[in-house]
Amino acid sequence: MRFKKICTADIGKKNCHTLAFYKKQGGYKQAAKALKKWAPDDLIEEVKASNLRGRGGAGFPTGVKWAFVPKNSKKPKYLVVNADESEPGTFKDRLIMEKNPHILLEGIIICCKAVAIEHAYIYIRGEFVFATERLQQAIDEAYKAGILGDNCLRSGIKIDVTIHRGAGAYICGEETGMLTSLEGYRGEPKLKPPFPAVEGVFGCPTVVNNVETLANLPYILEVGAKAYRSIGPEKSPGPKLFCVSGHVEKPGTFELPMGIPLRTLIDKHAGGVWKGRKLKAVIPGGTSAHVLTAAECDVAMDIDSLAAAGTMLGSAGIIVMDDSTCMVDALLNVMRFYHHESCGQCTPCREGTGWLEKIVQRIAHGEGRMEDLELIHDVCDRMLGKTICALADAAAFPAQSIVTKFSDDFVAAIENGGSPAWKKRHLSTVGGGASHG
Amino acid sequence: MARGDTPMTRWLLNGQEVENPTGMTIMEAAREHGVDIPDFCYHPGLSIAGNCRICMVESNRSPKPIIACSERIADGLEIKTDSDVAVEARNSVMEFQLINHPLDCPVCDKSGECILQDHSYTHGPDRSRFVEDKNIRHTKELGPTISIWGNRCIVCTRCVRFCDEISGTGELCVVERGDRAVVDVFPGIPIDNAMAGNTVDICPVGALISEDFKFEARVWNMDRRDSVCGGCARGCNIEVETLDGYVKRLLPRENLEVNDWWMCDHGRYGWRHLYSENRLTTARTANQELEDDSATSTLADFVSRAKKVAFLIDPFLTCEELSLIHGLSSSIPDSIVGGWLPPKGTAEQFPSGFTISSAKHPNRRGAEKIFGSKVFGKDGKDLLKALDSRKVSTLIAFCGGPAEEGPGSSWSEAIRKARKRIVFSVMDGDWLKGASLVVPATAPLEKEGTWINEDGRLQRARSCWKPGDEPFCPELVRLQQVQMACEIRTRCLSAAGVFRELAENIKAFSQHSHSDLGDGGLPLSRRRARVDSKGGTR
Ligand SMILES: Cc1cc2nc3c(=O)[nH]c(=O)nc-3n(C[C@H](O)[C@H](O)[C@H](O)COP(=O)(O)O)c2cc1C
Ligand code: SF4
Ligand code: SF4
Ligand code: SF4
Ligand code: FES
Repeated sequence: MRFKKICTADIGKKNCHTLAFYKKQGGYKQAAKALKKWAPDDLIEEVKASNLRGRGGAGFPTGVKWAFVPKNSKKPKYLVVNADESEPGTFKDRLIMEKNPHILLEGIIICCKAVAIEHAYIYIRGEFVFATERLQQAIDEAYKAGILGDNCLRSGIKIDVTIHRGAGAYICGEETGMLTSLEGYRGEPKLKPPFPAVEGVFGCPTVVNNVETLANLPYILEVGAKAYRSIGPEKSPGPKLFCVSGHVEKPGTFELPMGIPLRTLIDKHAGGVWKGRKLKAVIPGGTSAHVLTAAECDVAMDIDSLAAAGTMLGSAGIIVMDDSTCMVDALLNVMRFYHHESCGQCTPCREGTGWLEKIVQRIAHGEGRMEDLELIHDVCDRMLGKTICALADAAAFPAQSIVTKFSDDFVAAIENGGSPAWKKRHLSTVGGGASHG
Repeated sequence: MARGDTPMTRWLLNGQEVENPTGMTIMEAAREHGVDIPDFCYHPGLSIAGNCRICMVESNRSPKPIIACSERIADGLEIKTDSDVAVEARNSVMEFQLINHPLDCPVCDKSGECILQDHSYTHGPDRSRFVEDKNIRHTKELGPTISIWGNRCIVCTRCVRFCDEISGTGELCVVERGDRAVVDVFPGIPIDNAMAGNTVDICPVGALISEDFKFEARVWNMDRRDSVCGGCARGCNIEVETLDGYVKRLLPRENLEVNDWWMCDHGRYGWRHLYSENRLTTARTANQELEDDSATSTLADFVSRAKKVAFLIDPFLTCEELSLIHGLSSSIPDSIVGGWLPPKGTAEQFPSGFTISSAKHPNRRGAEKIFGSKVFGKDGKDLLKALDSRKVSTLIAFCGGPAEEGPGSSWSEAIRKARKRIVFSVMDGDWLKGASLVVPATAPLEKEGTWINEDGRLQRARSCWKPGDEPFCPELVRLQQVQMACEIRTRCLSAAGVFRELAENIKAFSQHSHSDLGDGGLPLSRRRARVDSKGGTR
């Protein structure tokens, strides 16, 4: 099937965020169909058949996740929309919420019908002030138009949507961390099982889906699972938002079919590496993913191809680094983030993230030792697979792959008294020549 | 498979097929087979947090190590606790726990009973690969009795869960993230609840510090005795820790029938009066101090020549002491017995079910079993009347409570109306002026014997005194010596021996003996539960 942009086709247009505009493009037709014509089980089957996979990072099949929710639970069920978007290099959900909020609301209605949910929360990153305003306007419009509320689109079905603003913690993007935060507690991931589908927010069955995941639902109903599956690779299909940042001429969010070659994405859509420089490294799926060297960049941008290449699509935050980048400084930046954001529950993550930052910082600041490279590996090994949530892994992956694939930069920093950028900064502040303390 | 009615699960523990009740966690089940999986954050009385990760083991359930404190056994599950994967996982956690830890054991109160210390010996690295600066976290008071030494905190959240789940007061929380995370209170809301002291006990390291015990003793120098708290009629099971015969600290002792793993702060800190200036330790007559021995003979003298005798008992006395008093009173024709009770305090109940009784004494039930249910009621009133109308010429009164004013003003006034008054008292006070004989009495923590708590549970208290170094003769012995002087006894027995006599004389006790009571006591008139055929007790 021919590829069509579903989230961003009209985002340059005036009033593209309004209900009137959205309806003119055929908006809420699929929601009406879902509410009035589709049986819940059929909806779940259709989404399963579409092979839609979560856009939040883990790539879990959406229909399969919905099917885990117990059918005859006496407790209420909830949908919690993950709009916390804090993975470094990721800015796609924000675009949807600012420019096309109604597509998210329509997706929410479809999900709620499929799983018999009456209340959806949108957990939105606290820094997204403008997106929150736009989303709230859209919700208000939808209530006023009878699209949300006690009798959605005159179907007799009740769906309420409430926005909850986070307070700026990356860990509240992890689904169970998000749920504890939504409950009013300190945002800390919980042990699984129980999985949210069985025991989520307020102890009730809960579906957690990413903004972009839900935004795909109207289109799946519009064209049917079979046609949707034919966009990109069959096992990981669909239109996809790719966020390209870093050393490119035209950074931005690009909606393209899954499976687009990474090179095409960078060179054609993002205008190529900037200033005529050469490509050095790419982080393909947010900083939690393993880094790719320039030589490894001939890869298709879909879940399975990137997994086969030893990395992941993750949040599709693509960070491009040119050949002027010192990978020691790049890693220091990444490690500072995870050290700052670890919630601190699990011993390996709490201590490991801090330790890694300190080691990398020491190397960048000219006090590195050769044995530190081995030590970084060991510390990562000791963190991997030993914690409640995946944040520890997310810190260890880039550390291991950057140190392995760019060991020359590290050896140079160790042998030459620090990373080039640090030496430059340091020499200009202390006045040439003096060695640091 | 079933053990009794319990369905059983078969699984493999280190290559051996084993069986445990279905639904058990791997950690609990492994411990039943003598395989100890280390823990920090796990506590049997709290919800599972699964955050410390020290209990990771290898399994056939997942390629990653799994945590034994939270995951449950299942048919066909294979667990290895000593494989390379398990050992490496444990060593990892130990290395991480120690990198920022100050390792200030020489000045840490927890040293010697610290779980981190213990696990370091067994699972920790013998040198550090950490060459960075260590993190600094806050040291501050969290409340009137507790402070946090943040650098030592391993963020296991035991203390936080305790305040959420057991005391229900919720004062503690973790603040900050990552390796800055540390326990704190909300601004202006100190930890100040009647169970707060337990947080210090369950802190696996020396992060929570009791101001009461800080720098008081190294734990390995102290002697420990299993006993029972006399602070209220609940009778929490405790450990009494002493240095050279002096109490330094009380700790709760697990008893799921009485106090779970906890005790209240009133009981925990309620022993300072033992060493107060007004503690009575020497006997005296109206005009002179007495040697301890001659106090006994003077007492025997009084008793053997006494007429119109009355006994005033209290609810602090043990069943054994009460039994001896009973023996004396029965041997003196027309003697009367009544009892006094300290004023009612406040009862408290916590969400976990833990309760503090409003009856601030340990053995009202015991006294009523021995002297009848009216001893603190009508009998007490009758005694008061008899004293008021000067019908009592010799009164032998007991005052084992912590109050310096003794049994209270109405009793003190009435007592003065007896011509001869012999008073056993823990504390000295004005109300003792003019007594014919004042005898130092043991306080609850100093008694050997049994009490019956408010649920009718017979439990053994033990004395904190250093054997052979007693500051004065305890009532248990002194009363027997008096009985010998009065020729109603031939030899002096231990508390267990006196209890045997009690069991012979009074039916309610007939089923019991000291040795039967074990560590946790038994409901009165019920013998130790029979051991069932499969070896477990029920
Ligand atoms: C540390 C961490 C941070 C995460 N942050 C986000 C996030 O900001 N947004 C998001 O949608 N998913 C995030 N996830 C993934 C969620 O846990 C979850 O898998 C996802 O929201 C499920 O939705 P999906 O199936 O629609 O992708 C994060 C996961 C981890 C481990
Ligand atoms: S892995 Fe890190 S972020 Fe995740 S729960 Fe554990 S400590 Fe928190
Ligand atoms: S203070 Fe003690 S009990 Fe509380 S979290 Fe820290 S180490 Fe655990
Ligand atoms: S509840 Fe009663 S018995 Fe238990 S510790 Fe407190 S005072 Fe002692
Ligand atoms: S004891 Fe199991 S994770 Fe702490």
